[in-house]
Amino acid sequence: MRIHHARSGDLDWINQLQHTTFHGYVHSVFDRTINVECSENGELYTLACQHLDNAPNTMLIDMDRFSELAIKVNDKVYADQRIVHIGDQLLIVMDQVTTWECQLPFFPNDIGSVINHLAFTKKIIEQRGKCGGMKPDLTTSSIFEQETSRLLSERSLMLQEALLQHRVSDALRHAAGLIGLGPGLTPSGDDFLVGLLSTFHMENSLGRIYLGFGEKIVDVARTLTNEISYTALKQASKGRVRESITRLLHSITCGKQEELILSLDKVLNIGSSSGTDIVYGIVCGLEINIKAGGTVCPQKL
Amino acid sequence: MSTKVVIKQSTYFDSVSLMSLSTKANQIEGVEQAVIAMGTEMNKEVLRNVGLLTPELEEAKTSDLMIVVKAATDELCESAFLKIEELFKNKGVAKGTSDIKYPTIDSAAKSIPEANLAVISVNGAYAAREARKALDNDLHVMLFSDNVSIEDEIALKQYAHEKGLLVMGPDCGTAIIGNVALCFGNSVRRGNIGIVGASGTGSQEVSVRIHDFGGGITQLIGTGGRDLSEQVGGIMMLDGMKALDEDEATKVIVLISKPPAPSVEKKVLDQIKLCKKPVVVYFIGGTEESVVAAGGHFAKTSKEAALKAVVLAGADESTINKRALNIPLVEEIRAKLTPEQKYIRGLFCGGTLCDEAMYIAMDKFDNVYSNIQKNPDYKLKDLHVSKEHTFLDLGDDDFTNGKPHPMIDPSTRIARFLQEAKDPEVGVIVMDFILGFGSHEDPVGVMLPAIIEAKELAAKEGRHLEILGYVLGTDLDSPKIEDQVNKLMEAGVTIASSSTNAGLLSREFVVKGA
Repeated sequence: MRIHHARSGDLDWINQLQHTTFHGYVHSVFDRTINVECSENGELYTLACQHLDNAPNTMLIDMDRFSELAIKVNDKVYADQRIVHIGDQLLIVMDQVTTWECQLPFFPNDIGSVINHLAFTKKIIEQRGKCGGMKPDLTTSSIFEQETSRLLSERSLMLQEALLQHRVSDALRHAAGLIGLGPGLTPSGDDFLVGLLSTFHMENSLGRIYLGFGEKIVDVARTLTNEISYTALKQASKGRVRESITRLLHSITCGKQEELILSLDKVLNIGSSSGTDIVYGIVCGLEINIKAGGTVCPQKL
Repeated sequence: MSTKVVIKQSTYFDSVSLMSLSTKANQIEGVEQAVIAMGTEMNKEVLRNVGLLTPELEEAKTSDLMIVVKAATDELCESAFLKIEELFKNKGVAKGTSDIKYPTIDSAAKSIPEANLAVISVNGAYAAREARKALDNDLHVMLFSDNVSIEDEIALKQYAHEKGLLVMGPDCGTAIIGNVALCFGNSVRRGNIGIVGASGTGSQEVSVRIHDFGGGITQLIGTGGRDLSEQVGGIMMLDGMKALDEDEATKVIVLISKPPAPSVEKKVLDQIKLCKKPVVVYFIGGTEESVVAAGGHFAKTSKEAALKAVVLAGADESTINKRALNIPLVEEIRAKLTPEQKYIRGLFCGGTLCDEAMYIAMDKFDNVYSNIQKNPDYKLKDLHVSKEHTFLDLGDDDFTNGKPHPMIDPSTRIARFLQEAKDPEVGVIVMDFILGFGSHEDPVGVMLPAIIEAKELAAKEGRHLEILGYVLGTDLDSPKIEDQVNKLMEAGVTIASSSTNAGLLSREFVVKGA
């Protein structure tokens, strides 16, 4: 049995672990993360290695990888007296854990710098974004990848158009066509929507009129994608996204270009093409904000 | 055509592993299409659209992993699945690590007081800052990162110069220090020849040829591609030359670069005059007079540079196998090509190898196009379409935007190769296969299915398609060079014994009426 310490974690989950009981089992094991399904509410929670960033329902542990432990799917997980037990392999002590809470930035009234930062962000995606998802790989000979990219591009554009024209039911249909679409554990369409939904939750964002739209997406997503990706979508629909995404939103809306490079780098490095797909979603959401300007009238929706 | 499907229930792999598995599955010999994706409705819709959906796949759930393979026969499908299962097993193995990680250069330097060099590979925006920290800790720097501003490069190199340290880079991919290859490099024997190179694969090629001619190297110092520009002024090439001139083990110095800016060339030539040791100069496309006037030894090709260095270092020239050009082979290939098959298409992973072959072609032909052509009239306008004689550096930013370098991920070259092979005006396709540290584990193996397909296609159309391959590596490299060469030969590929010979052979094959 190895003993490790929790470094930081999502405020809500840490509170739950410290003040109530928690029972569950290991849902899936990766090199640097373990997902745990809670028996009480059926939600997924994540134990992650220390170099990853904070995220909703996530606790960071002072470890570099889990693959050296023999933790298996369905191993029992429970927490009592500020200690999390993972099967017979790992004890996580929460005596020094700090808490993290997702805080999205305020969308500024002066959008000049947002426009500049978005242009810069697009340039960086063009240069360093990873192909295979929202960014098509023009050289691939895989007909699956070619068709996936075509659908991703077509449906994301139609979604943006529908949102700009306040055609919510059309937007929902196009969003549903993105859920579960694409290679990877978190399909590219899901990642795009995570980025998009995060922008709707920024204070002062015109996109806040679409918060109901986000909730509807989650309703349809339950059967359209896997549990891991669904959890990220569900959290994003509540304005809860990982720390690197909140930092990127901060940098685009009110940061300096130097910070933006750093934040972009961090997000673009998520997964294979996941980070790039998320940034595409963020760009789409912020452009909706900018293009809509002051013309959006919530009463019409 | 046969399609086989496996559904792995409730199976999760991280995205990076899934994409990597998918790429590797598509490279398995005989596989026409391979898909590895989660069993979502939308992914099933894509499979339906491309004609790969089967009733079995319809049943896959969102938490299931779908594996679909389409190949010519059932046997090929079965064989591909066995290989895919093997890939999954390898991914599933939990690996321990013996790496010690330090969060900062300062802590690493304190923990390893005997360290004298830092290799830096971080985002270009932070690379200069990290490099400065390394210099502050009296460490030489190899700066693999690109996108470092020229102002930062100059400042770092001046600071290093003042401290008596080297800054190899930015964008420096090759160095061999104390017989250890850093980033991309080959296993070569120790010897008495030192190299200072501003071009990565050019330096690899010269080090490998020196090894092949029986020589060995002391150090291979990379400078980064911009070092010999007017602005940087060749700071690191000059410091590298001085370091090797003072190094007791080094008897001969070799310089490799594209032609420097005139003012920098003068500084380098002045430095040659001051050197106590013979200096061989291979400036790709450069001229002889000024080098000879400075007391240097001019080399027109990488092979000539290596040969001159080995001889100057004391080898008996009469005992060296110089790998002379196979003239009867040239006649044989010319006879197989139709009058319409008059163009060379070069598809290179190595920029300098591309450059060398291109300059050799330009000695006889005017219509030589490339993405790295200096002459704007012959720079390819549309990178996706070749024109007449075309030489592509597929490792250039033009082709690596958002993708790994072709020395690591060959998919871009495979697609382009199949495109070129269909062109009835193509006489020869020339390619490099680079072995050694940092390169693909089987660069020939991943190209073989495409090579076989292209040969078959040409044969069906009643034409001979000449494919010329050059494997850059030594007998000490992994994978074994002998195995790589044999695989190519078995697939009907002609082998060149050096980068220079690859350029010369490809050019001579398509000369008409000689």
